[in-house]
Amino acid sequence: MFRKVLVAYDGSDGAKAALRVGVGLAKSLGSELHSISVEEHLPHYAVSVGEIQEAKDRVDEYFRILTKEARDQAALNGVELQTAIRQGHEVEMIVNYAKEGAFDLLLAGYHGHSRIFERVMGSTAQSIIRLSPCSVLLAK
Amino acid sequence: MDNTWFLAALWVGLALVATLFAIWFRISTALSEIVVGTVAQLIIGVAIGGAGLGAQTPWVGFLAGTGAIVLTFLAGAELDPAIFRTKWKEATVVGLAGFFAPFLGSAAIAYYVLGWALMPSWLAGVALSTTSVAVVYAVMLELGFNTTQYGKAILAACFINDLGTVIALGLIFAPFTIRTVVFVGVSAVVFGALPFITPRFFRRYGGRVSELEAKFILLALFGMGGLALWAGSEPVLPAYIIGMVLAGTVGKDHVLIRRLRTLTFGLLTPFYFIRAGSFVSVPALVAAPSVFSILFLAKMVTKMAGVFPSVRVFGHRNGADVYYTLMMSTGLTFGTISALFGLNHGIITSAQYSYLVAAVIGSAVIPTVIANAWFMPRHLLPTPTIEQDEIAARPSDAASS
Repeated sequence: MFRKVLVAYDGSDGAKAALRVGVGLAKSLGSELHSISVEEHLPHYAVSVGEIQEAKDRVDEYFRILTKEARDQAALNGVELQTAIRQGHEVEMIVNYAKEGAFDLLLAGYHGHSRIFERVMGSTAQSIIRLSPCSVLLAK
Repeated sequence: MDNTWFLAALWVGLALVATLFAIWFRISTALSEIVVGTVAQLIIGVAIGGAGLGAQTPWVGFLAGTGAIVLTFLAGAELDPAIFRTKWKEATVVGLAGFFAPFLGSAAIAYYVLGWALMPSWLAGVALSTTSVAVVYAVMLELGFNTTQYGKAILAACFINDLGTVIALGLIFAPFTIRTVVFVGVSAVVFGALPFITPRFFRRYGGRVSELEAKFILLALFGMGGLALWAGSEPVLPAYIIGMVLAGTVGKDHVLIRRLRTLTFGLLTPFYFIRAGSFVSVPALVAAPSVFSILFLAKMVTKMAGVFPSVRVFGHRNGADVYYTLMMSTGLTFGTISALFGLNHGIITSAQYSYLVAAVIGSAVIPTVIANAWFMPRHLLPTPTIEQDEIAARPSDAASS
């Protein structure tokens, strides 16, 4: 049923839980396992290209380490994880990637923002559920 | 405040607060510093009156001025000569259109619509003619356009646009005396000699803990800045051109540029941007918000009138033309530098300065938001494959293992 599984992975506790579920599913069902990490922390309206480039280099390095750890964890369980890193809006990138890759299941972590935050801003998880082209599983 | 160290602590404290706001709201530190400077001056001015933040204190002015000069040098040094060589025709045409249309158009609107005097109107034209390479680069990098020919053309055009602004700022208010001739003559010799002298000098004596390179760069910037001031011009003009002529050599020395950036962002530009913000009069903005709106719209409409047709000449269609135009409509660093130049030289009033800075900040934010929401040319976005992602993710595997 779930031939292609995508994990939205940002290194948070919720995302780590989602990755564990994904690895478990891939192992038991023989699914193809992918992850997408979205860099969205570049400074906006900066005054220097160098400032942005340096921030980008740091974010790139952070995500490289993050995805390597995720691949290592999957490999320990005998699963190959194919990782992708994108820049931009988190929800838009994840949903578009799920559409383009024709995934059957999207796994995401539950962040647990405050009620006020979620009422005002809406949560990433809510937006993913609303816009995802495939079934979504939230891990806690 | 007479105690120098208390005053320094106050300014650095404000810089720290601005940095925290920048981190929380994911905006640039500079933008945050301008806003913090405005609010702090308002609060401290009301609380203790008089000079408030002490923005007119000479050493604060020196640090702020040095910040503007070094920041402008870094902006010039960020030019990529290779990109410019491949896109020079498009960059020149679009960049000049992006400068002249808002320069002349905004000046005319300030003069005829707002009823400003001639010199303040010219200053408004200069301040609103800018674009922001850094704001555009952030968007390009985030979307991946920076690797495309389209994105490279936009960035190269931004450099030409800003060069027009800096030259206008440096010359339009100059008195044109024999000093101007000396300044132009010495500048031509220095700008021609620096790309040959500097790399050789650095190879011979550089790479030591004494930071000879930084001292050499500062000497060139201060020397030419002093000459510009002596001639009645503006020190950021030679700073930007020194940056550009050294972009292919010194600009590629990432360690040196990073050290200069640490000095600039750690100490100098906080003084510059907080000081720039402290001169903004909130009561003036509240009293006449329509003036800010007219100036902002003047920039947008005149940029559209100049950039849009010139972009289409080079074959950009299907939203790419509007997106290109909106990117060229941004502004931040040179807009605030121009406005502060006008205020410092008595060309514009405090109220006019406030309207211009507000319009400049508006142009840093609004065009990119509109462009990304409605006009993004998705057909030009690069599409990385999963295989490319794997390759991109692998280098640190080796590094960390």
